[in-house]
Amino acid sequence: MFEIERREVIRALALGLTTIGTMDADAAQHVHTATGAEKSKGPYRVKAFQPHEYKTIQRLAEIIVPADEVSGSALDAGAPEFIDTLAAENPQLAGIFHGGLAWLDAEMRQRYGTVFTGADTKNQTAMLDILVAAEREESARRNEELVYRRSNDYRQFSNYTVKRPSPLGPGITFFDWVRKMTVDAFYTSPIGIKDIDFRGNKGMARYVVPKESIDWALSRSPFKSAAL
Amino acid sequence: MATPFYDVVVIGSGAGGGTAVHVLTAKGIQCALIEAGPMLDIDKEYLEHKWPYDFDHRGAEPGGKSYFGQGKPFGFFSTTSGGWQLDGEPYTVAPGSQFHWFRSRIIGGRTNHYGRMSFRFSDYDFKPYTRDGLGADWPIAYEDIAPYYDKAEDFIGVVGSKEGIRSAPDGKFHTPPPPKVHEQLIKKSCDKLGIPCIPNRRAVITRPLNGRPPCHFCGQCGRGCKTASNYASSQVQVFPAMKTGKLKVFDMAMAREIVTDKSGKCTGVIYIDKRTRKEVRINCRAVIVAASACESSRLLLNSKSSAFPNGLANGSGLVGRYLMDTVGFGISGSIPALEGMPHYDTDGAGGAHLYMPWWLWDNHNKLDFPRGYHIEIGGGYGLPGPGTFHGAARRYGYGAGMKKEIRKSYGTGVGFAGRGEMIPNEHSYCEIDPGVVDQWGIPVLRFHFKWTDYEWKQARHMEKTFTDIIEGMGGRVTGLSAAQRESDGISIPGTIIHEVGTARMGTNAKNSVLNGYCQAHEARNLFVMDGACFVSNPDKNPTLTINALAWRGCDYLAEEMRKGNV
Repeated sequence: MFEIERREVIRALALGLTTIGTMDADAAQHVHTATGAEKSKGPYRVKAFQPHEYKTIQRLAEIIVPADEVSGSALDAGAPEFIDTLAAENPQLAGIFHGGLAWLDAEMRQRYGTVFTGADTKNQTAMLDILVAAEREESARRNEELVYRRSNDYRQFSNYTVKRPSPLGPGITFFDWVRKMTVDAFYTSPIGIKDIDFRGNKGMARYVVPKESIDWALSRSPFKSAAL
Repeated sequence: MATPFYDVVVIGSGAGGGTAVHVLTAKGIQCALIEAGPMLDIDKEYLEHKWPYDFDHRGAEPGGKSYFGQGKPFGFFSTTSGGWQLDGEPYTVAPGSQFHWFRSRIIGGRTNHYGRMSFRFSDYDFKPYTRDGLGADWPIAYEDIAPYYDKAEDFIGVVGSKEGIRSAPDGKFHTPPPPKVHEQLIKKSCDKLGIPCIPNRRAVITRPLNGRPPCHFCGQCGRGCKTASNYASSQVQVFPAMKTGKLKVFDMAMAREIVTDKSGKCTGVIYIDKRTRKEVRINCRAVIVAASACESSRLLLNSKSSAFPNGLANGSGLVGRYLMDTVGFGISGSIPALEGMPHYDTDGAGGAHLYMPWWLWDNHNKLDFPRGYHIEIGGGYGLPGPGTFHGAARRYGYGAGMKKEIRKSYGTGVGFAGRGEMIPNEHSYCEIDPGVVDQWGIPVLRFHFKWTDYEWKQARHMEKTFTDIIEGMGGRVTGLSAAQRESDGISIPGTIIHEVGTARMGTNAKNSVLNGYCQAHEARNLFVMDGACFVSNPDKNPTLTINALAWRGCDYLAEEMRKGNV
């Protein structure tokens, strides 16, 4: 029996747990800061993009997940580095960004007479607003087409009422890529994880569900009675 | 060099093979274990407690593979070693059928990452034909297996509570963790609907057991547990069995054929050493096949001889037949009462802390489908990974507004997954594809599968029930479960990864392949100890029953060996 207990303690120590409760928060923080500090030794070397392309990705990251009163931006959370790292490992992904960034600049020149990074914030967000609106329209159109393709009208090749695909298609596709990777980078970073107040990923000796949380939800639910 | 000899050769190291080597080596029987994948290296494979930012790819995998649908099956962090497709080891699906086959290739197999739901079959589950005239009865009854459920639960450790519900027989349980907040709301909604909502039963321990420390509530069972506080056959059975000195493990060994003599007795196993591509033979007194249901049947079908021209132990022609999966359907909902709640750590013991066993077992005459289902719950503040907020981002566009909405909606979603019983049918089976071999030269399987109205109607009942539960707690349905494969209203066959049947038990060599001890009717020193032996596939996840049946079969085998019958 003693042998079992001793081994348990060793295993717990190996995991960074203490026998009395959760992993020491300061110790955890220390580990994270150390990693961060280590990483920030020297500037990040861009591998997959031209300087202008990378600046555009940085600016997009700042706009897609901006800093607010709660936390920093996706730029602070390392989204451009994340995109660059993966693109450097995957020509298909790099291609999506090279092409998409060039499309964005061409569209910006046409609409506002300057590339994306050269425009003011108002025009930059105006462009993204146009893409989001087009994305929603396009998504509705695709659903309509799906329904149509399953219908008898389609089989008889008659009564085609579905709209044409959006001319902004390449922009919609690219924006979805840059947005999803920026959002992923932000919410998987220490900044983003803190932003949404994730409390887990740690060991503890006893699992407790706090009463204040139970009371909060129950009092706002159709069940006003006490907890289980 | 003389051909090595062992008392028993066990093929496959998952729930069945793991149990077999544990039980047999404890009785002093010399075993060889053949596994088609590598030895499990816990330090390398198990990513427990890592953060996404510990990796430059944050979990999207190098080159962002997960964005292109080429990532690991359940995400980067899950300790899967294998998947829906394996390089160089194909399978085929007959025209008009759909089937996805998940195979593991590592010591411990799928038990390293499985959901660990551990439910006993009910008494009525063993006699389904007697109840409603569909499918077939098992040759054993609940009383036969109950002592082995006890042994299995005692040994692997299962949390749960005694409830006295007929569809969910009580077991020998560790103390279950308390319900999370969203689960408490779900329970109250279920109370109104007359649906029992009880502590979940999972193979996790909450007190020390055989040198394994209790759960530390990180919720990451799927990543593999470095403290072995949950059940995986690798850590709980195979590694300890290796320490007895009675077990020799051959990894990267793909079983090709079971060899028989003229009398039909198994004399050995031939496998391909994947590292050298050489053929190796091991001789033995008995063979236990536990390679997962379809892989085991494939091996039998490929083991042809003059004594067994249709494949080993296949005089009945039933090897490969009556393939079943579990019926799956899911819905998610959004619960306003959870908005703004003070956050807490919802990781817990991994998986849900409550579940709903089937509650209408006495009311099938009032339903338009014959068999039941249980309900699994999802929800809470999960650790974000690539993809977690893609839906929210599309919904809210971008910018400060999106950020605020993500913060507000985080943790307010709940999910329900129905897991129901399928009736075995003659259109669902696997056979050898006559035209295709894998890279080891072994003929591969071809799958045929059809859901029938029994399953479709059950899935519609799930849909209505989940909607009622969500609306009963003041929520609204937000969509089908995240699994796109269920978008047609029922899971794609195979995707619940409960594929069983294909070498079923029965009372004689005409109606079945095996007897109630997992022993082949036609080859007395051949046993099949995985889900292949299942006669039906009740709404209980199969692993615990595989553990219990394998344990029972091994007790019987050891006794037969002692008596000189094997």
